[in-house]
This record gives sequence, C-alpha cells and structure tokens, in this order.
Amino acid sequence: MPAGLVLVIVVVALLVATLLNADSTLKKSKAKGNGFRQEVAQGVANVSDLFRLNLPRRAIDSAMGRETGPTKGIDELLSEKQASEGTATNGSNSGSNNGSDGPTAPEETTPVLRAPTPDDPLTMWMGGDSVGGSFAVQLEPIAASTGLFDPILDYKVGTGLARPEYYNWPEHFAKDVIPKQDPDIIVAMFGANDDQNLEVDGKVLDKYTPEWFEEYRGRVGKLMDLMKSPENDRLIIWVGVPPPGPQSKIGHMDTINFIFWEEATKRPWVSYLDTWAFMGGPGPNYTYVRDMPTADGKVRNMYQADTLHLATTGAQYLSWATIRHVGEIIDLSASKIPDPPADQAPPSTIVERSELPRTADLN
Amino acid sequence: MLFPTIDFAIFFLVVFVGNWLLRPYRIAWRWFILGASLFFYSYWSWRYALLLVASIVGNWFFGRVIHDALGPDGERTDRSRWLMRAAVVANLLVLGYFKYYEFFAESISARLDDIGIHVSMPTLRVLLPIGISFFTFQAISYVVDIGRAEWRRPMPLLDFAVYLSFFAHLVAGPIVRASEFAWQLDNRPDPRYVEASEAFMLIFRGLFKKVVISSYMATIVDPVFSFPGGHSSWEVLWAIYAYAIQIYADFSGYTDMAIGIALLLGIRFPQNFDAPYRSLSIQEFWRRWHMTLSRWLRDYLYIPLGGSRGTTLFTYRNLFLTMLIGGLWHGANWTFVIWGAIHGLVLVGERVVKQWWAERGAIGLPPQVVKALQWALTFHIVCFAWVFFRAQSFGEALDVFGRLFSSGGSSAAVTTVMIATILLMIASQFVPQRIPEGITVQFSKLAPVIQMAVLGVGIMVVNALGPEGIAPFIYFQF
Repeated sequence: MPAGLVLVIVVVALLVATLLNADSTLKKSKAKGNGFRQEVAQGVANVSDLFRLNLPRRAIDSAMGRETGPTKGIDELLSEKQASEGTATNGSNSGSNNGSDGPTAPEETTPVLRAPTPDDPLTMWMGGDSVGGSFAVQLEPIAASTGLFDPILDYKVGTGLARPEYYNWPEHFAKDVIPKQDPDIIVAMFGANDDQNLEVDGKVLDKYTPEWFEEYRGRVGKLMDLMKSPENDRLIIWVGVPPPGPQSKIGHMDTINFIFWEEATKRPWVSYLDTWAFMGGPGPNYTYVRDMPTADGKVRNMYQADTLHLATTGAQYLSWATIRHVGEIIDLSASKIPDPPADQAPPSTIVERSELPRTADLN
Repeated sequence: MLFPTIDFAIFFLVVFVGNWLLRPYRIAWRWFILGASLFFYSYWSWRYALLLVASIVGNWFFGRVIHDALGPDGERTDRSRWLMRAAVVANLLVLGYFKYYEFFAESISARLDDIGIHVSMPTLRVLLPIGISFFTFQAISYVVDIGRAEWRRPMPLLDFAVYLSFFAHLVAGPIVRASEFAWQLDNRPDPRYVEASEAFMLIFRGLFKKVVISSYMATIVDPVFSFPGGHSSWEVLWAIYAYAIQIYADFSGYTDMAIGIALLLGIRFPQNFDAPYRSLSIQEFWRRWHMTLSRWLRDYLYIPLGGSRGTTLFTYRNLFLTMLIGGLWHGANWTFVIWGAIHGLVLVGERVVKQWWAERGAIGLPPQVVKALQWALTFHIVCFAWVFFRAQSFGEALDVFGRLFSSGGSSAAVTTVMIATILLMIASQFVPQRIPEGITVQFSKLAPVIQMAVLGVGIMVVNALGPEGIAPFIYFQF
C-alpha cells in the first residue's frame, strides 16, 4: 500500500475513533483540568453529539454498567439527604471562608461508636483518589488483621472533588456507599487531583483565588455533611494528602490540607489525620521526605517512584498511624494486635498538630 | 509517551510523514529519525536523553577502538579483547549504578544488621531511566560483535545513534542486533509498498492485548497480590493464571505495537513472542518468550561462560547462571533472582530427565497424553515462577502460595467472564499462524474506506473495553 494512502487511512481512522470516543475523551480531559486539551475535546464532543456519533460508545458503556447520563450536584444531594432526615437546610457552614461559622444544627458531639471486638467489628470504608488507594490497599489488610474492622476498599484513579463531572464522589457516597454499605467509619483521602481550576456553571474559577476557595471549601464541607449519619454514629477520618515530592508535579497540598482540617474542626463527626506530622520529616516545617524511620528506628522508603503515591512501606506506616488515630477516639483495646509491628508503624513519639498553619495561598 | 495515547498518535503521524518524505535523503532522514527518537525519550525526562546520548557516544567510540585494535585480517588481539571487556564493564557499571546500587546497598545493610553490625550505606536516590536495560544490552551486543570480529564494519556515529535510540524499540525492546538494523538504514524501502496491513493488524492486536486483556487481568491480580489473605484459594489460583496472561498480554502487546510501528516506517524488527504458553518444556518456552532476550543471553552470556563445551555439570552450571543473571536483569529485587533460579533449575532438570527417559524408552502412554501432561506441567511451572516475578518480596510470594491451601476469603473476582478470558487467551496460543495471516490478507483486500472504518471502530471498541486511564507497560520498569 502506498505511504500516502497509509497516512490517509491512519488519519481518518483516528478521526473516526476520536469522534466515536468523544465523550470518554472529554471526560478524561476534564479530569486533568482546564486547558487547550479540554477545549479541543469539548469541540470534538460537540461535533460528535451533533451527528450522534457518540451513541455506539454510549451503548457499550451502558451495557458495561458505566454511568453515561447527567449526575446530581452536591447541593441537590445534600437537600435530598436533609429532606429525608427532616433536618434544617443549613446544617453546615459550607461556602464560608473565615472558618468562624459553626454548624447551626442542635449541639453536635463527637460520634459515639461502640468499642469493636472480633465478634462485633466496625465496618470501615477506606479509599478516595489513587493516592488514597495506594494507602488504602494496605489499610485494608491491616485493619482486618486487628479483628476490629470489616474493611471496604473503594478508590478511583484520577478523581477528586474538583471534577464531579468526571467522577461524582458525593453522588457515590449518597447513592452507593452510605445506603448500601452504611459504614461505621469512613477513612477518606482526596486532594491530590484538586490542584486545578474549578468550573461552576460554565464559569472557570482560577485556582487559589477567593472565589476558588469559597467553592472548594463548600464542596469539602458539604461532602463531610453528606457523610454524616443521622444518628451521629459514623466517624469520618479525613486523611490529609501526604507531602508530594518533586516528581509528582503537584503542589499546594498544604493549602488543600488546611481547608480539609479547617472544615473538619467545624464538624465533630470528622477528625482530620495530620499526615504531614507523620510523613513530613522533622517539624515544624514539614516537607517531603522520601525516607522516614519506623518505630524500630530503621529508615525506610515511603513513596513510589513518582514521589506521590505511597509505597507498600509508606502505606503500612500511614495505616498504622490511622489505626492509632482511630484508637484515640474509639476503644480498640480488643485488638488482636495491641502493639503494631515496629517495622511498619510510625514512632510513638510523633504528635499530630492540633492546628495547621495558614498557608500563603490563603492570605 | 506511551504508545496507546493521543500524544503518541500525533507524534507518530509527524514521524510517519517525515520518514517517507525524507527517506530518499540519506543524512537528513537519519537526523530526522534521531531527533524524533530523542524527543520521544525526552518526553519522560531530558536527563534520560542525555544519558542515552552519552551511551551512544561512548559505545560508538568503544566500537571504533575495538575495531582498530583487531589484527590486519580482522582477527582478535589481546588489545581488542581487553577493550571489549572494558566496554562491557563500562556498560554494566552504568546499568549497575542506576538499577542495582540501592538494591545491593540495602541488601548488604540488612544482612549486616542481622548480625548486629549497623552500617548506613549511602543512598543515591537516582531515578531509573526508562529502557536502560534494553539499550544497554543492545550496546553491549554491538561492541561484543565487533570484538568477536563478527561485525566487521563499525557503524558511522549517526547510524549507530539511530540504531540505539530508535524510538520504536528504545524503551521495552525487542532487543535488536546492529546486524539486523544497520542494513535497513541503507536499504531504502519503496514508499509505494508499505506493509500496512500487517502493521495495522500487529498494532491493533497489541492494543487489544495491552489495553483490554492486560488491564482486565489486573482487576484480579492487583488485589490478590496486595492482600492474599483476603482471597480464597480458588481466587488466588485464578489470579496466578491471570498474571501469566497479564504479563504476556502486556509485554507481547507492546512488542506487537513496536513491530507494527516500525513496519509502517519501513523497518522490520525480529519476532519477540511465538505463542510461549503452548510450550511443552521450559527450554521450548525460552525459544518462544522474549526471544530477543533469550538469544542475547545465549550469545553474550551462556556461550562466553562456556556453553555446553565441557562436562555435563559445567553445562548445567552455565545454564543455571545464565538464567539467574537473566532474572536479575529484570529487576533489582531478590524475587527476580528467585524467578531466574527456578527457570535455571528446571532447565537443568529437563536435561537430566530427558537423558533418563532416553535411556528407558517410551512409558506406554499415548503421545497426545504425554504432550498434554508436558504442556500442563510446563504451564504450571511458568505460572508458579511468575508469582515470584510479580510479588514485591519473597514473603509476599509465600503468602500467595500459602493462600492456595487455606480456607475462607472472597472469590468475587472469579467471574465467568474472567475464567473465559483466561481460557481463551491460553487457547489463542494454539491458533495456527495461517489464521492471523489469513485475516491480514483479507484485511488488505478491503477497500481503503472500509479499512478506515474497521480501524476506527476497532480503536473505539478497545477504548470502550479498556479501563479509564492507561497503565504503564510492565516491562517499562526494566
């Protein structure tokens, strides 16, 4: 076949494939944030939609049980939740920057959970984005090994709170996790994919502007409210993003963690786990450090080569830190492993910060 | 950039056009391909590209001085031998620095710790350049072939640079010999006769194996190997089979794409996989799996060690050492060494058993039954060894094996679709070659418009059946 014809065949085939896959391409480009790629993908998706070329792919996705239609926004989900619980519509202070507002519902207290035993464990949901996944795949067996938890692993690569049109975590919690699994404890890690602009009603909010902070803080707070159980018997452990290293190509996780921490302090059912105190090297200015000492004094590599996702040792280390953190709230004395393995757990001398410093982005 | 991505598609379209337009212009074409290849490699890190350039210059220089040190009739001299050894050592030092320093440092430190000696070995924190094992082996084959006077004409620097850096095989093989590549640089293929149908079929087959099959297998392999204790023995067993399929689909899929891409540019690579899971012995397996690595190990390790030119025990030693080092080549972890050792031991064992059976004659079973038993045994040995290849540690591998004999745990991932996929992939190893060749011929007879539609829909289906996001190729880490 002549090279010229080969070129035409390849180009046309790629064009055909691009048009047929337009929806999927747009979804993936949105997950990566705004930019030229997303604009191109949107244009292609518009053309594909105009000529109904996206229908075969939608049919395949539908047959495979993948979501194709519009999803519900977090405000709608929260309203539905509050309506079903018969609570007031302003149960959270989401949307406020100043951190001084508290919940307006009746006096909220730290959730009271029973002390788990091997005969009566607590259900623990764990997951989030891929960084959360790299951590939770080790938390799952470690939590199970204590005999006190029935773990549920649930993470999705490339997701977060910034792009609900790519993957709608609030809807997943509202429709799947809470009604079907009803976990006693939720251990969630998000944020690594949220270092990007936000889009609200077609308008782009540049990252770390006051409007961006208001919107992102609102999403975080509302998700925390969605996770709360009506009987206040569910504990949320919001795990901060570990300090990212130079190969990760992301930043501002200290800012994003500050938002998580600040929203958590307003909600007694949410407890923030200060990852940077465990993994950020010697304080007080915690930064990325690849190797950390475990309880036995040996220094071990905590990260995978991308300096963002946790290696097995790092995930085990953070998992035992999580168990320890939970143990400060719930009685875990019936654990089959009263003393965590010294070659996996963090040193007992590490103390989480009671207050996170306000970062320069927020000033 | 990974092959099955939009970025690569755009890159390749540019390279395809440039390749065929510039092919009549000897020097310009070479510079264009070299530039494209360095761009491809720099996409990960420009620092890696500097290392590659250094390897190109260094090995080309070694090739020249080794050739100049040969005798007047091209015979080996002491000087040429020493220079060749220096070249090999230099390459291995570079590979060792990037790939093995931390592994050995941590291993030594751990062993000293065990006996109460606390030594803190300095850590280098170097990132492993992608594909370093592949282009280093290619460079070694070049200098050794010159040193053995098997390759009488050192390549010009530009040609050698194109050979070592050619993007299609740079990061995960096949390991192409200079003798297989050099003549193709001067041989100007006719742009009217591009082997497009064969290339399209290879690329599509590779895409399907990598994006659909390998990724699907990962849905059972990853959770089982992360946490064997949470899975039933039934699920662990199928995860072991699934990993055998996953690594085959991933690696052979990449190779198929590499061969197809090179073919579209008028370059033909050697075959790298030939239905390895139909093998009736481990010896046959290594004639069908990663064939270019097998022959590299044979020609540059097994034969220099002495090969079979000695006593039986000497041959067994060489076989075992070759497989042991071959295992280590795959990664800086003792699990790869164990994997290599298993293959080495079985290769030796096969020779022993073969000799034993030859002395005793037929065992009275029908030949088909014997073949079936041989196949089953070989396949399960390969799968058993793969567990060490996949596990992060020896303990993890033992955990996986331990679960095979334990009760309890989930079997949710062992669905009918999963079992059927694994069985179909195994069955595909026995499909006669004439069938895919026939499909290629039939495809080539289709009108171009139909070909466009078939390929476009095919890519859509692969994308739809695959996961969201492309995982890196398993062999990239080597």
